[in-house]
Amino acid sequence: MENEEKNSASISTLSIIQMRDVSASYDSKNSILKNISMNVHRGTNYAIVGASGSGKSTLLKLMNGMMIPSNGIVLYNYQKPDVKNKSYKKSMAKIGYIPQTLGLVKNSTVMDNVMIGALPRIDGVKSFFKIFPKKEIEYAHDILKLVGLDEKSDRKVHMLSGGEKRRVAIARALMQKPHVLLADEIVSELDSVTAREVMDVIKDAQQKLNLTSIMIHHDMNLALEYANRVAVIKEGEKVLEIGVEGEQIIDFQTGNLTQQEILEMYSESQK
Amino acid sequence: MNPKNNLLVGAIIAVVVVTSYDVGVEPIAFFEGLPNLGIVAKEMTEFESEHWGTAFWAMLETIEMAFVGTIIGVLISLPLSIFAARNISSKFVYAPLRALLAATRTFPSILWAILFVIVVGLGPFAGILAITLYTVGFISKLQYESIEAIDYDPVEATNAIGLSKLQLIRYVIIPESAPHLLSQILYMFDYNVRQTSILGIVGAGGIGFYIINYIKFFEYGKAAVFMLVVLIAVLAIDWASVKIRDRYIMKAEHGRQLKVSN
Repeated sequence: MENEEKNSASISTLSIIQMRDVSASYDSKNSILKNISMNVHRGTNYAIVGASGSGKSTLLKLMNGMMIPSNGIVLYNYQKPDVKNKSYKKSMAKIGYIPQTLGLVKNSTVMDNVMIGALPRIDGVKSFFKIFPKKEIEYAHDILKLVGLDEKSDRKVHMLSGGEKRRVAIARALMQKPHVLLADEIVSELDSVTAREVMDVIKDAQQKLNLTSIMIHHDMNLALEYANRVAVIKEGEKVLEIGVEGEQIIDFQTGNLTQQEILEMYSESQK
Repeated sequence: MNPKNNLLVGAIIAVVVVTSYDVGVEPIAFFEGLPNLGIVAKEMTEFESEHWGTAFWAMLETIEMAFVGTIIGVLISLPLSIFAARNISSKFVYAPLRALLAATRTFPSILWAILFVIVVGLGPFAGILAITLYTVGFISKLQYESIEAIDYDPVEATNAIGLSKLQLIRYVIIPESAPHLLSQILYMFDYNVRQTSILGIVGAGGIGFYIINYIKFFEYGKAAVFMLVVLIAVLAIDWASVKIRDRYIMKAEHGRQLKVSN
């Protein structure tokens, strides 16, 4: 596994996720995404912004193989993502995916939920009896400290607050030792203070663990604040892709813009 | 009331009258026989106090049988319920298993007790086997239904991580379907104590053996002692299970911390 990480570091200048002319649909008539092309470079904090129903979630599901494109090509680490393909399982373990519903096991403890992230690395029989290597338990505590939940590791998840539940989901994803973190509107339902706390946890983890992240946001302000690249999806099409460096915004289509102008453009695309 | 309803009520009354005649309902015999009940009731109040001790030990045996049968039955049910759940197992596994489980529920445990008396002989063991079998049929059904009703989000999220099926069952399916289990076990134990109380009638152990024998020999005073003990025990267990339910299950449902007694 350590070799694998070295390998990925040696090609860190290249894209980790590539999409070329990708379309996707749930039935044959209505396509949810139309001709999307994007490259996500290693180490990028990529944000996808769009109104509800614009196809953002589908975009993430294409990246981790929960959905297969109807047209075009998706590559993760030069492989086609497909959850149903057994030879892809190893790569799946390296994609931290946090769905909008979080997908936590509510009647289990925080620790048990976090350990789920480590299961692909652990022998099936041992994991059935909850026998974990000491190294993994220590790592879980490290991750829980990182997200600020270590003292609540024995709590049941259903007793936690909304912000804490999100931290558990982040911890479970980080426990996978992922190369990429995919998160679907992880802070949309939180108030702006808690939302920023959760985003700071992710930012902190990204820096410490050298992660690439692709996050879906509802709020353009949050996206501009935390991401260094933002794509706007409208009705299944990518209408804008911009780079962010501090206050400076570089639009790859129309030249340099100010944050204000982007926010105005975005609010128009919402209508 | 509209005429349609009148017709329906009339039809139901007609069916009740016809079927009553068919199965030999005789209201006159009931009223003629009422004085007999008076005799029995009078004799029953003449408790024979030297039997309280025997009744107590017989009841304890009954409760022990119900307890052992319930626990073993639950332990067998847990894996079976996973194999019987439509969202986990293949059709070739769950279909025959469900049919088998339905078959065990078809007969009351007293009929299974007769069968097991033939197999292992008279005594409590036959009763325990009957209780176990009935518990398996019942708890498995309740459990596979709650497995089929679990939240699908965690299943989808953990599938994307790449867990094995065994890990999925251990870390998602079992914890998600477990909250109702304690309540189901309590209900089952309660039910099993009452069932075990009558298994003695067919010689499968427990307090029912005394009750049926004393009634056969018209010793209603002695039988009454044993029946009263059953009544007290069942009420006590009922009360205790309400307490346990309040303490553990209600709290869990209201999102407070589950207390585990040490």
